[in-house]
Amino acid sequence: MKRIATIVALLLATQMMAFAQDWDPGGVLKKLSARAANAVDVNLDQSMLQFAGGFLDPKDPQQAKAKKIIAGLKGIYVHNYEFDKAGDYTPQDVDAIRAQVQGPDWSKVVNVRSKTDGENVTVYFKKEGNEFKGLVVIATEPTELTFVNIVGPIRPEDLAELGGQFGIPKVQVDQNSSKKGNDK
Amino acid sequence: MVAISNVMSAAAVPARDLSFEDLVHEHERMVFSIAYRFLQNAAAAEEVAQDVFLDLFRNLSRLESAAHVTFWLRRVACHRSIDYARRNRNAASEVSWDDLGDLAPGDGRVKHNEDPMLSKRLRQVVATLPEKMRMVIILRYQEDAGLEEIAQAMKIPLNTVKSTLHRAHALLREKIGTAIGEGNI
Amino acid sequence: MNDKLEQELKKALRRTDPPAGFAERVLARAAKEEQAKLAREKRRFQWFGMSGLRLGVTCALCLIVAASGMIYQHERHQQGEQAKEQLMLALRITSSKLEIANQGIRQINSPEQRPE
Repeated sequence: MKRIATIVALLLATQMMAFAQDWDPGGVLKKLSARAANAVDVNLDQSMLQFAGGFLDPKDPQQAKAKKIIAGLKGIYVHNYEFDKAGDYTPQDVDAIRAQVQGPDWSKVVNVRSKTDGENVTVYFKKEGNEFKGLVVIATEPTELTFVNIVGPIRPEDLAELGGQFGIPKVQVDQNSSKKGNDK
Repeated sequence: MVAISNVMSAAAVPARDLSFEDLVHEHERMVFSIAYRFLQNAAAAEEVAQDVFLDLFRNLSRLESAAHVTFWLRRVACHRSIDYARRNRNAASEVSWDDLGDLAPGDGRVKHNEDPMLSKRLRQVVATLPEKMRMVIILRYQEDAGLEEIAQAMKIPLNTVKSTLHRAHALLREKIGTAIGEGNI
Repeated sequence: MNDKLEQELKKALRRTDPPAGFAERVLARAAKEEQAKLAREKRRFQWFGMSGLRLGVTCALCLIVAASGMIYQHERHQQGEQAKEQLMLALRITSSKLEIANQGIRQINSPEQRPE
């Protein structure tokens, strides 16, 4: 009976760890999640990615792309929080996360502000030597926060595969016919 | 995503990738023109053209190449235009010739050897053709589509395209001949 | 004899420009549709997320009870499908944010990119 109880405890612990945060300095993500009106916290470490990958349908174009992207990755952690009103999160909340990508291995790729809805998106990548080892995206809007942490070797072509809206394939255009659709 | 991946990698992207936005800009004229020429109403044409592009947005993962996109858009534009006309048969029959005048093709300048009156009359006559015949004419002469392409776009047999085109020519000659005088065309 | 008629038809039936702002309106509708779809997925995720722990506990208990190998298989399949849904949602969210950044870079690099 004691052995069974130990097994149960271990299994439960494994389940909890599957939902563990990737990086959560001072538990800020946990606090944001609790404060948000709607929260999405996806934590997929390497084993969970492999597990999920086993259920991807290769015949579905989107899922086939996903399988390609996650191959070799060590983790995908996505946190998206929607708040009822502006001011429900503070710049300090965001700064705590940004501090995680300030080390020498990290480079800021782009910082973009959308004119239509004021969304600010910053993309960082981690490089070790010539290899890309990770990607972080921090997107802030007055009532929404998104943090993405992709751990592992993310290749530029993988990034291209993610597409504008995931699942929409890039349409290849022949070099010789690049101006199809010219008006008459 | 090409832009970020370019920043990450010094290697040039081998082929140009188009996003949905690129496709809209590339094909908006084609899609709108098919709808407009068929429906002869700018508001209706915009509604149909928007719906065509939203269909593209939802189905783009199934399309394999730029050529496939062009073919697909043309086919959906045809069918949606015809469906719209059938659903709004009463409204569509109220043709405003002023609409045609406001959105004349080209840049408005009369080119040498062009007879704008003849062109206008032809457009008016085409607008009165039966739906299937009108669409065949639009695809053939506005879109420069081959007969096989028209057959595939409209999902009708090739022989039907040929016979429809033949009848359309006869009808147009009859109507234009009456208006301007026999023997001109 | 058809040649003259065909030439005149080609001249008469030329493409016309859509009204100003057409492309922007299309893109706005598409973006709205995508946001609505993402919102539905997030709500579905939240429903799954709440039951995820219960499923995890249920799975552990099933292992212990081992009443039937089929029960374990069924739960494992459910967990796998959930994990897959989470993965797809994560990728969609990531993709939507990266596209904003990507558009920013394209605007900076090629302000005259769009044909008139």
